[in-house]
Amino acid sequence: MYDMQCPGCGHRTAMMLIDQTIDELNIKNKIIVGLDVACCSLLIDELRYDAVMCPHGRVLPVCNGIKKVQHDKIVISYMGDGAAYAIGTNEMIHAAHRNDDALCIVTNNGLFAMTGGQIPPSAFDEKAFDIVPLLKNMDIPFLARETLSNRENIYNCRKYMKEMFESYMTNGGFHLLELLSPCPTNNHMSVKENVEYINVTVSKILKCGRFI
Amino acid sequence: MRKLLNGNQAFAYGCFIAKVSFFAGYPITPSTDVYEFFEKEMPMRGGTFVAAESELAAVNTILGATIAGARAVTVSSGCGFSLMQEGISYAAGDFVPLVLLNVMREGAGLGDIPRSQGDYDQMTKGGGNGDYHCIVLSCSSMKDCVEAPAKAFELAEKYMNPVIVTYDSDVAHTMEYVDIPDEIFDKGSAYYDLKSFSRDYARKKLKFVLSGENTPPRYIQNVYYHNKDYDRILADKYDDIEKNCQVADEYRTEDAEIIFVAFSTCNRICLEVVDVLRDKEIKAGLITPVSLYPFPSSTFAKIIASGHVKKFVCVELNILKQMTKDIEYAVKFRVPVETIHSMSTCPTVDEIVYSEVINNV
Ligand code: SF4
Repeated sequence: MYDMQCPGCGHRTAMMLIDQTIDELNIKNKIIVGLDVACCSLLIDELRYDAVMCPHGRVLPVCNGIKKVQHDKIVISYMGDGAAYAIGTNEMIHAAHRNDDALCIVTNNGLFAMTGGQIPPSAFDEKAFDIVPLLKNMDIPFLARETLSNRENIYNCRKYMKEMFESYMTNGGFHLLELLSPCPTNNHMSVKENVEYINVTVSKILKCGRFI
Repeated sequence: MRKLLNGNQAFAYGCFIAKVSFFAGYPITPSTDVYEFFEKEMPMRGGTFVAAESELAAVNTILGATIAGARAVTVSSGCGFSLMQEGISYAAGDFVPLVLLNVMREGAGLGDIPRSQGDYDQMTKGGGNGDYHCIVLSCSSMKDCVEAPAKAFELAEKYMNPVIVTYDSDVAHTMEYVDIPDEIFDKGSAYYDLKSFSRDYARKKLKFVLSGENTPPRYIQNVYYHNKDYDRILADKYDDIEKNCQVADEYRTEDAEIIFVAFSTCNRICLEVVDVLRDKEIKAGLITPVSLYPFPSSTFAKIIASGHVKKFVCVELNILKQMTKDIEYAVKFRVPVETIHSMSTCPTVDEIVYSEVINNV
């Protein structure tokens, strides 16, 4: 599955976790996915769900439009950190502020992957862009961050994902799960080194856990 | 019901005739009346109103609503409309039937709010990135504004292409009596209940709609990705549009020697100019391009073939003679084309009637 991604890529793991959660909750025929461009858009051809490739950073407005028309559907907004924390930050903050019904999954690898690893405004440095303080005091039902690195953390991601889907289906509102993800290709690391880097360095800069 | 409405309000009522159930927007003069209208009316009728955080969000929100099966519109002017080019270009690339209203204002950048037609090239030649055209419909009267949305959605959904409805700020703010069907005000009618239309099962079956229930799954992405022969698909689409969507109104052109070409505010003035000139026994006529893209070249070809026309006079509100160039292309330089133009100062009837352009006939 998801063969377009490089070996060790976090997008593949994230999408597999989404698939598993959907199968577990048996909601396959209710899913519409909005994907951002760049590496995550490569997932589209293998998706088992109706999907739209949105303009860069505008996944949340597009998904908001879909959800407001098809109220009974589960509309997943899937994007990378470029979309969520660079070009689409405005959309992200306002979607949260309005508490739009959104199921937002951000795979954050701290670089512009598709274009070759350039530094984004959300780079994993000492001034890394942290969405948690911005959204923590908003009236939203779910906000969590976890790393897609070792096995326990991935189980944790899976747990968060299920909680998030369930909460979305019962109460609606803005849900954000950020997954800190390896991109071995552009970090010029082996998969093992990249996982280590996320576990040791990145998770110190961006604290993980469920915040709301 | 007969109502006294301005162009923006007339357009908004026209949206209800077209069963528009979704609006997202960001206010900017001179298009704000539409925003205000929907802010109040949409929730009352079971439709959706989204106060977007920017024009970028607005256009992308209606992109989502459209691919979910609703009829959705957004509206903007000037620099706000420029921000929407991203969504328009995506809709063209993805074959999404997006409908937008651009109420033109003056100048580049911030410009100002008087009447102007400087967005002509932006709308008819592209505006966003890539190889595409929007179908562009112009309105000159309140009646045109009422009828435009239904026409726009019909064309958009037929050709799977974005459609822009446009007029300038004088048409937006001029008030006229216009007939609106009674059903629009009748709480019991299907036109009033927007909720049922946007959730209509039949619309979910339309070929571009994502319902979550499609097997195999349906992907909305650029036509380039999933069609090997996208060259042909695109060429065929625009050929078809150029052949079948040209619309122009003609006024007293049957034997006219001097024919004015104008849309929106200029068109309203030229209608009177033609009558005044006819009283003075000058054979004048008027062509109103209703479709700005595709430009109604066939109307010009037909009139030139009949042999009586000696000159075309384009009256437009921009410095760069944007529409004049399209007319020259349509008449292939067989008949002279002159222009009366200014960025935002509309010539009066007298100014045109006593201008050199007329004396030279
Ligand atoms: S470049 Fe990075 S983000 Fe893109 S597919 Fe490869 S590993 Fe994944």
